[in-house]
Amino acid sequence: MSAARIVKEVKGYHAFIKFLIGIVMVGVIAGMVRFIFGLGVTTNLNDTYPWGLWISFDVVTAVPLAAGAFTLGAIVHVFHIKKLEPLVRPAIVTGFLGYSLVCVGLILDLGQPHKGWQVLRPDYWNLHSPMFEVSMCVMAYTTVLFLEFLPPVAEKFGWHVPLRVLRWLEMPLVIAAAAISTLHQSSLGTFFLIAVDKLHNLWYSPLLPLLFWMSAICTGMCIIIIEATASHKYMGQPNEGELLRTLAKILPWALGAYLAVRAYSLIFMGKGPYFDRPGLTFSFMLELGIGFILPFIMFMQKSVRENDRRRNIAALLVIGGLVLNRFNVSMFGMMNEAEVYFPSIIETLVTLGIIAAHILLFVLIAKYFPIFEHHPETVDYTIPDRLHRTGEHKEKKSYKEQPVSQES
Amino acid sequence: MSTRKDFSRDKSFLIDMTKCTGCRGCQVACKQWNQLEAEQTEFFTGEGYQNPPAMSEYTFTRIKFRDYQKNGQNEFAFYKEMCMHCNEPACASVCPVGAFVKTEEGPVVYKSERCIGCRFCMIACPFNVPKYEWSKAFPLVKKCTGCYSRVKEGFAPACATACPTAITYGPREEMIKEAERRLGQYPDRYIHKVYGKEEAGGTSVIYLTNLPFDELGFKPVTMRALPGYTWDALRLVPGIFLAVGGGLSALSWFTHRRERLKREQAGEMVTESSAPQIEDTDRKEEQ
Repeated sequence: MSAARIVKEVKGYHAFIKFLIGIVMVGVIAGMVRFIFGLGVTTNLNDTYPWGLWISFDVVTAVPLAAGAFTLGAIVHVFHIKKLEPLVRPAIVTGFLGYSLVCVGLILDLGQPHKGWQVLRPDYWNLHSPMFEVSMCVMAYTTVLFLEFLPPVAEKFGWHVPLRVLRWLEMPLVIAAAAISTLHQSSLGTFFLIAVDKLHNLWYSPLLPLLFWMSAICTGMCIIIIEATASHKYMGQPNEGELLRTLAKILPWALGAYLAVRAYSLIFMGKGPYFDRPGLTFSFMLELGIGFILPFIMFMQKSVRENDRRRNIAALLVIGGLVLNRFNVSMFGMMNEAEVYFPSIIETLVTLGIIAAHILLFVLIAKYFPIFEHHPETVDYTIPDRLHRTGEHKEKKSYKEQPVSQES
Repeated sequence: MSTRKDFSRDKSFLIDMTKCTGCRGCQVACKQWNQLEAEQTEFFTGEGYQNPPAMSEYTFTRIKFRDYQKNGQNEFAFYKEMCMHCNEPACASVCPVGAFVKTEEGPVVYKSERCIGCRFCMIACPFNVPKYEWSKAFPLVKKCTGCYSRVKEGFAPACATACPTAITYGPREEMIKEAERRLGQYPDRYIHKVYGKEEAGGTSVIYLTNLPFDELGFKPVTMRALPGYTWDALRLVPGIFLAVGGGLSALSWFTHRRERLKREQAGEMVTESSAPQIEDTDRKEEQ
């Protein structure tokens, strides 16, 4: 259409990228300030609240937000719902970026970052520590995600041999991803099992690990919905509405199961008093009502699943619910009324920088690597017993050049 | 983590708060033995008369004051705050690098060379004992050492040595026996409870008092050893890993096999239609 509109769009895109780069730069500077002056001066952490925004958001919340990669990998490759495959790559890129930034957040939060590698020292291992388990899993899974992320890179540069090796590794990686993720998504909940007299009764439950895992799966799918819709709208990527509809059909089941376990844990395993603190009661109602029950009802409606905008709203509600849930467990529910923690400017800037870095890298990777163009309906995925076939990557490449004509 | 089950010979503190005069000789002795810096503090910045206002990287123990009325008269009650040296310490169980150890002698000690600074110990401790060096760029955790360096050599801890009245130090079994003897002998003088016998699964610091414990600022703590709470979930980890990994492997093998059979049944038609396509792309790439 009009050239003016295209120019305007390109300008908007450049402005957006510059804006993101700006926030990332500010975050990097804030991170440097933290390392020069130390945690005590630059954060509002203290002996009462040794964990703050960086743990609550950059680790405890960011990990489930990156859960789309393993969820979708399992749905597509194990349960064989092949038509969702085009969504796998965006999910893996999100996951890889998310986990890399979790590592950044963790290192910033450590008091002795130069000694962080000691978690790997076998003579220091402590199998009783949920933190040990999570850090091992996060390292292993970041590696898995890196390998899963390599195929588009190899495709882009035409590295055929690595591509074939990676294709052969695909299934083992998908299964490793699901197994490792199950462990550490749930172990983030295990963290707070030890805070037995600190975490408020509304959230403390022996089932926290299971609840963390289930809510991570729900959120992983919702993130994919948001991401695919936004990429279509703002980045000119293909419309995956058809596929998102299928994904949205799984969601009421996943959310329903989560709510059932949550209700069971509260009613049969919890102990009162529950509603002794109005602030927490409000936060709890908001989280459960608006963040989980409402979208559960919404996703049950066909009209919501089939409408891009409504589906997006429901998905956003779930994401909001999860974020609030993780903050309730790791921050609000752990506070006492006498002393309130509020993140410092440095803490906030670093976290904003990390979020901006995630979006920025995603946009750039999606622009320069074949992330969304990957529609491998024609690709044979049974590589392990057909290793001798070599035409695969070429077949895939050709897809773009001759899209629909083959079928007719 | 130690897997010890018998803690009866662990060296323990019996602190009889009815005998404490609030002289704070223990606070001074602690600072001296552990070479802790002085802190600039102001009176009444904490919750009562006590100073410093809280335990910190510079203060491993302190006496809390509480005024109350008894028979119309004002009275003081005291409570010595310090690391409880739990039988099964939460800090030791959550530390990813095993920086906390429950020693054979009784004290729970911290190995700073292992610490990576994740501060999980501070979250886990039911008594909020571990403190952090917030003043430093690369902080470590600080807490009461139970004067392990002294205990190892057969001495009593600095605070117990300095205390003129209230602290008895010896094997846990004997301290509990002594506490119960006092409760039996002077039932009017005490609240009938040996704090630390069962709290958090049992501790190496045992208190007797004449005021209700919650009034003195003792937080309600579980009677179960804390490591068990997380271990209940963590012990399932290998099983879940194998179950998820194995289950998904089996499932994907099955779905792929079904898919392949379906394709092989469709057979001829597929190969015929896909073959020219590959040739086609080959030619394109050559160009």
